[in-house]
Amino acid sequence: MENLTFIVFAPLVAAGIIALLPRTFNVLFRLLALAGTLASLIGALRVFLNFDATATGLQFEQQARWVDALGISYHLGVDGLNVGLILMGAIVAFAAACVSREIAQWQKLYYILLLLMAGGILGAFASFDIFLFYFFHELALVPTFILIGVWGRGDRRQYATFQITLYLSLGALITLIGLIALYLAAGTHSFNLLELTRHLAVEPISAGLQNVIFPLLLFGFGILVSLWPFHTWAPLGYSAAPTAAAMLHAGVLKKFGLYGLIRIAVPLLPTGAQHWMNTLALLCLGNILYCGLVAMRQRDLNLLIGNSSVAHMGFAFLGIASLSVIGVTGTVLVMIAHGLLAALSFAVSGYLHGRLGTLQMDQMGGLLRRMPFIGAVMVMAMFAGCGLPGFANFPGEALVLFGSWSTHRAVTVLATWGALVVAAVYMLRAVRVIWHGPVADRWKELADAPNLWVKLPFALLLAALLVFGCCPRLLTDKIAPVVETIVQQAGAPPAILTAGSKPTWFSPTAARETMPAPIEP
Amino acid sequence: MTTALPWLVLFLPLAAAAVITLGALRRPTLAARLSIGAVLFAFAGSLLLFSRGVTGETSFTWLDLGNLQVDFGLQLDPLSLLMLLVVAGVGSAIHIYSWGYMHDDPGLPRYFAGLSLFTFSMLGIVLATNLLQMFLFWELVGVSSYFLIGFWYERPSAAEACKKAFLTNRVGDFGFLLGIIVVWATLGTLNLGELKDLLAGDPRALGTVATLAGLLLFCGAVGKSAQFPLHVWLPDAMEGPTPVSALIHAATMVAAGVYMLCRVFFLLAVPGSAALEVIAWTGGVTSLLAALIAIQQSDIKRILAYSTLSQLGYMVLAVGVAGVGEAKNPAPAMYHLTTHACFKALLFLGAGSVIHALHHEQDIWRMGGLARRMPLTFWTFLIATLALCGVPPLSGFYSKDAILALAWESHHPALYALGVLVAVLTTFYMFRLVFVAFTGPAKSQAPDHAHESPAVMTVPLVLLAVPSALAGFWGIDAWFGRQYGVVTEPAASWLQHLVEPFVHAPVAAFGGLLAVAVGFGAAWFFYHGAVSDPLPAKLGALARAMRDRFYFDEIYERLIAWTQDALARVADVVDRWIIGGVLVKGTHGTVELMGRLLRLVQTGNLQTYAFLFAAGVVILLYFVVAR
Repeated sequence: MENLTFIVFAPLVAAGIIALLPRTFNVLFRLLALAGTLASLIGALRVFLNFDATATGLQFEQQARWVDALGISYHLGVDGLNVGLILMGAIVAFAAACVSREIAQWQKLYYILLLLMAGGILGAFASFDIFLFYFFHELALVPTFILIGVWGRGDRRQYATFQITLYLSLGALITLIGLIALYLAAGTHSFNLLELTRHLAVEPISAGLQNVIFPLLLFGFGILVSLWPFHTWAPLGYSAAPTAAAMLHAGVLKKFGLYGLIRIAVPLLPTGAQHWMNTLALLCLGNILYCGLVAMRQRDLNLLIGNSSVAHMGFAFLGIASLSVIGVTGTVLVMIAHGLLAALSFAVSGYLHGRLGTLQMDQMGGLLRRMPFIGAVMVMAMFAGCGLPGFANFPGEALVLFGSWSTHRAVTVLATWGALVVAAVYMLRAVRVIWHGPVADRWKELADAPNLWVKLPFALLLAALLVFGCCPRLLTDKIAPVVETIVQQAGAPPAILTAGSKPTWFSPTAARETMPAPIEP
Repeated sequence: MTTALPWLVLFLPLAAAAVITLGALRRPTLAARLSIGAVLFAFAGSLLLFSRGVTGETSFTWLDLGNLQVDFGLQLDPLSLLMLLVVAGVGSAIHIYSWGYMHDDPGLPRYFAGLSLFTFSMLGIVLATNLLQMFLFWELVGVSSYFLIGFWYERPSAAEACKKAFLTNRVGDFGFLLGIIVVWATLGTLNLGELKDLLAGDPRALGTVATLAGLLLFCGAVGKSAQFPLHVWLPDAMEGPTPVSALIHAATMVAAGVYMLCRVFFLLAVPGSAALEVIAWTGGVTSLLAALIAIQQSDIKRILAYSTLSQLGYMVLAVGVAGVGEAKNPAPAMYHLTTHACFKALLFLGAGSVIHALHHEQDIWRMGGLARRMPLTFWTFLIATLALCGVPPLSGFYSKDAILALAWESHHPALYALGVLVAVLTTFYMFRLVFVAFTGPAKSQAPDHAHESPAVMTVPLVLLAVPSALAGFWGIDAWFGRQYGVVTEPAASWLQHLVEPFVHAPVAAFGGLLAVAVGFGAAWFFYHGAVSDPLPAKLGALARAMRDRFYFDEIYERLIAWTQDALARVADVVDRWIIGGVLVKGTHGTVELMGRLLRLVQTGNLQTYAFLFAAGVVILLYFVVAR
């Protein structure tokens, strides 16, 4: 099962089988969906455990010729950067299949789309061919729109679907233009990422061209990750989406943009990256502070989670903007942690919506007495969201802040405020309003999650957050070597790179040498 | 054994918390046994480590990224050994007491899980080998405090209080984390031992950021130890169960700020840093402010809470004045921390015993005459009160005297005078409490039915009364002095020890004694046998301001409403109407409008097309031919 094709195609094959079955076999659809995603999860877990962090290059690589004329091939593999992301994607996909119990209509179509989405996501993260990478992303993106449009909820569903479709298609289109421009400018006649990397390391694209192509990728990918000010689709779209779609999109698919920036844009267009990083650092404040403040004003739980998810993306952007090993490693950690966290948060809110029929927070209150399990899960999710140690978000955000300090000091200070104070304000207000206080009469009859089956997805996501939070080296030891080569390609000042050396601007070693030697007593 | 023991001491409480959460939420007895067992083990382990004087450091790498290396380790030295003993010892007494106090509460397992999580986190702060590890546990004590303050979360006041406590602490942590980043960026390491060596080699290694780094680190202590201006959360934290107030919000967690300052003292006391001066005055202002507020409170727990604030201010003051001169020895702060942990925990547990007996009555003006009905509670409470006021030969006298002497000797006469004034106020409000609640006539029906608490609650009182009374003779200051390289000769006999402060630093010792006498006299004059508070009539507006906590809460509420909340409102409006409305809808509207306009042209009418075609030809001809 340690086979990437197996991991990617298990959900797709399950989707194919469902498509062939009669329309009324609802139980079987669900079982197939669970089996397909579980198979991916087991495979991803085995790949993760058998991954050799000391080796360089790709592992579990699989390659086949596809369209020779354009230099397109089927090329899957893992290195330290995506091995954790694939595992996270597989966990979230399985959890999303678990919570799909809420769907009653057109189950056949629903599960087909869900599995397509899961397979597309895993494929996108495993691809080392840019064309394949883009192809898998679109494979996952289109079902998202249909899932929101058909199984979504709320009276603004139509507008939300409309907006998210247009926005994300626009982002994908700009990305595509950027990628094609990159392909043409490189002139290698290959979409193979490794070949491109080797080639461009020797013969880089001219600086002027890089400065034009990079923003195409930055904003194209940025729109997909809800970079401020292109973020308004996200909270609205997630609040209208069915639970599983919100979990998969906010948790995993959204990370595709960040992954593309780290994997393609930064190493292949180093000059462009350096040129645009200050802009990115300023925009990420829009995410962290502005969207954090917006989240404080939300009355709807899903809008709050959606805005907080946008805010968290700011830390991922800040890490990239630092172009340092610590910062970018932090970004990858934030991606994984936030993927699990967003999935968990939307799973909880979806469960609440199913039980209460509303997500207006001022109509809730005192629910902890009635739903201790779900309540405890959400309180933990909220604490993870405001960076409590023990959860994977803490090492991620801490690394980002440590990494960005030497390049963007003022931004780091404000981002720290956003991480520690603003996030805590809206998270704890939500806990206070929803779970604490006296319970209203209308909720006296509410029941908690009834059995282990229902609790499983929550427990799984929470456990993953805790494991990576307590042992971040499970991830960082794999991520850091890859990030180091990427950052080196991006030509960051060597002072930030080399182990043991200190950042240049204060240079304490120099200061020490000029000091008179201490007088011996 | 000595390598595994500290790890067990640290992690057993966590294991207890985890087991209770996962499997014993409906089995109160098992939960209590696990939790109490874990803390007793921690206490026994700390005693063993302390008695053997085991020192050293052990760690593994938690994060390793180029020049950012974060260890997770344990550090045993004089400072952490004794602090370990304080946390585990006071914690043990309070865990046992809790079993009696919380016995009938349906949430007992959840309570013990929180208590064990807290014990783990607090021990983690004590043992941390590096700044980020300390920050990690710093956050964890914050969250366990949140859970325990909000234990009765159905009460709106408790739910608000836990939120306020966590958020206020987060403001302090904001500075703390930035301070950690600055120190790391400047010196290149987070490990406390390495930092100490670096600064010993070159005291000016921090360069121009010395003051900034010191003050940012101090922000953490301002939040956790509830110093002015972030002091507002601690009194509200009294919404938690009383044993929680005793353990977390009196004896240990709030003292973590002082412990941290003593831990990083070498970073604060570098030449060219003005941080210590700010620290000293912050502590002084806090102690005075809190003592003034305490005078006009009528809730027994709030009086004690303000008293805690005031005493924490004392400790912070002691750290601040310790940087002057050759010795650079903040041991008096740790000394007072230790004795205060014992007698303040005892005061809270005594108050809890009273509250328990009066069925959750907390207003001292509805008590009275309790000394006869609850003798054991009264006598232990009195011992703790005398210790707090600084009556020789009780422990508080020696630790407070050490601080006053330090302030005097470090040429801070103003802070010394402030310290003496606060000592007067302390005695005044504590004896106000004792006279009103324990003596005189009963002021309501409630005390008539009061009776002494069960043994599970009174035994911890007696156990804590012993160190409260005698800790002054145990050489605690000398022990802590070893951490800072100060060796003191132990006193030859207890009699010599008794008179030593008067010989060694007479100004401080007699100042302290005078303060006690003045404070006691005033309290006797106003409150002996009083049935209502005579002060409001005499002081007028000042008394009202004290009662209303000098309006800090109201001011902060306004401030937050005018700044952060206003910004949030603006951001929300912009998001909804400008970005989500004008820009997104505008773009979509423009595209749609263009579509509609173009659609007007596509009529499908052949004559229109022919007309447009002809018109186009004419225009083209005009441009080509006529020009």
